[in-house]
Amino acid sequence: MTSSPQKLSVSSLQAGYGDVQVLWDISLDVGTGELVCIIGSNGAGKTTLMRCLSGLLKPRAGSIVVDGRTMTAATPADFVRAGIAQVPEGRRLFSAMSVRDNLLMGAYLRMDKGAIAAELERVYEMFPVLAERRRQDAGTLSGGEQQMCAIGRGLMAAPSLLLIDELSLGLAPRAVELLTESLRTVNKSGVAILLVEQDVINALELADRAYVIDRGRVVKSGPAMALVNDPAIREAYMGLS
Amino acid sequence: MIYLQIAANGLVLGGLYACIAVGFSLVWGVLNVINILHGSFIVLGSYVALFAYSYLGIHPFISTVIAGAVLYALGYALQAGIINRVVMAPVLITLTLTFGLDLILNNAMLAAFTADYQAVNLAHPLGVVQLGPVFLPGDRLAAMVLALLLTMLLYRLLRDSRIGRAIVAVRMDRDAAALMGVEVPRINAITFAAGAFMAGAAGALLSIIFPISPLNGPLFLGKAFVVCVLGGLGSVPGAMLGGLVLGVVESFSSYWFGPEHAVTLSFALLLVLLFVRPSGLMGRRGYE
Repeated sequence: MTSSPQKLSVSSLQAGYGDVQVLWDISLDVGTGELVCIIGSNGAGKTTLMRCLSGLLKPRAGSIVVDGRTMTAATPADFVRAGIAQVPEGRRLFSAMSVRDNLLMGAYLRMDKGAIAAELERVYEMFPVLAERRRQDAGTLSGGEQQMCAIGRGLMAAPSLLLIDELSLGLAPRAVELLTESLRTVNKSGVAILLVEQDVINALELADRAYVIDRGRVVKSGPAMALVNDPAIREAYMGLS
Repeated sequence: MIYLQIAANGLVLGGLYACIAVGFSLVWGVLNVINILHGSFIVLGSYVALFAYSYLGIHPFISTVIAGAVLYALGYALQAGIINRVVMAPVLITLTLTFGLDLILNNAMLAAFTADYQAVNLAHPLGVVQLGPVFLPGDRLAAMVLALLLTMLLYRLLRDSRIGRAIVAVRMDRDAAALMGVEVPRINAITFAAGAFMAGAAGALLSIIFPISPLNGPLFLGKAFVVCVLGGLGSVPGAMLGGLVLGVVESFSSYWFGPEHAVTLSFALLLVLLFVRPSGLMGRRGYE
C-alpha cells in the first residue's frame, strides 16, 4: 500500500440518534485540495454526516480517518486541530457578538496573535462588507452577509478542509453567486472543500467530484461532470429529464 | 440634604450588591444553573478574609484576591467534578444539586466556624470621607470602589479575552462554540469558577462591613436573586445597575419606613418589576 493522499476518508459509517438510525453505510473520500460535494434530498442524512465529521456526534460503526489518523472517537476540538473547520447549517453565528468577535471565535484554538491578525485581514479582503460591519452584531447582517461571516469564521481556523453544510439555503441568487465565487478562490488557495448542498445544479457545477446520498447510504458517486449528465440524477434532483 | 446622604449610602451598598450578584448572574446566564451555593461562597470568602486578617495580618482589601482564588479553585473542582455531569439537565435538577451541595458546605462551615457572628475589626480604619454635604465611612467607600472595579474587570475580560469570548459564545450557542474547538465542559468549569471568584471577592469586601456567619448565606443569595431579576439575567451591566438600584431602594425605604421594612419593600419592587418588565431593566426580551 502506498501512503494515501487523502485528507479525509470515511468508510462504512453508521450513526443515528436514540432508536433512530440515520446513516447506514457511508463511504467517501476527500483528497487534499479537492472540492467535493454531497447531494441528496431532505432527510437523506447529510447533516447527520456533517455532525459526525465535526465530532458533535459519535458514529456507531465505521471509521473516520483524517490525514491517516483515525478520528472516530475524536472531540470537535480534535477535528479543528486536525485542520477541519465546519460552516454549520443555518450558519449558527453568535448573533449578539460583533462580526469581528465571531471571526475571532473561529481562531479560538490558534495562539499566534500575529497570524490571527493576518488571517482576519485576509477574510476582510475576501469579504469587504465584513470589514465595513466588523463592529456590528452578527445578527444584524443580511442572510448572504451572515453566510460570508460563517465562511470567514471557518477560514479563521486556517483549515485544510472546510466543511460547508448548505451554502445557498434561503439566500438570494446574487449572494449565492458571490459565495460560490469565493469558494472557488478558497479552493484555489489549497483548501479542500466538502460541500453539502440542496441546489444540485450549482453544487455539481462547482465541484470536482460528487456523492449522492439517499436514506443514509451513498447511492452514486463520480466526477461532477458525469453526474450532471446522469439521467437518473437529472430527474430525481434537478427536475429535468 | 439628607436625601443626598441616603442616596450615597444606597449607592455604596449597591456597589457591593452588584459584586454579590454578578457571579450569580454569570453562572445562571451561561450555564443555566441557579447556583444556590452562591451565598455560602460569599460567606466562605468572608471567612478567608477574617482568618487572613487575624492570623496573618493581611488587609481584607488584599484578601479579595486570595478569597477569590480559593473560591475559584473550589468552584472549578465542583463544576468539573460534579455539576458538569448534569449541566444539560433541566434547571430544577441543577438547582436541587446545588441546594444539596450548599447544605453540605453551609453545615461544614457551621461545624468548623460555629454560627457565632464574628467581625473583622480593622486596626487602622480609613475614617470618614466628606464629599460635599455627604459623609461616608472610608472603608465602605473603598470596598464599593473595589467591588465596582472587579465587576468592570470581569466585564472587560468577558468581552476582550479569548476565554471570555468563549464563555459568551457557549452562552449563545453551545454546539456552534464546540465547532470552533471550544471545550465546553472546561468553559463551564471556568465560568462557574469565575462566578465563585466574584463571590469570594465580594465576601472579603463585605467582611469589613457585615458580621460574618454561615447564617448569612441565604441572605446574600436572596440579594443576588433580586439584583439579577432587577437588572436582567446574565449581563454584567445589568447586575451592576440592578445592584445600585436595589441599594438605593433599600436605603430610602429604610429611611422612610424603618430598616425592618427595607427588605420587604425591595421584594415588593421585584414583584412589580416581574409584572411590568419580566426581562429585567437591561435584559433582552425573550432571552432564556
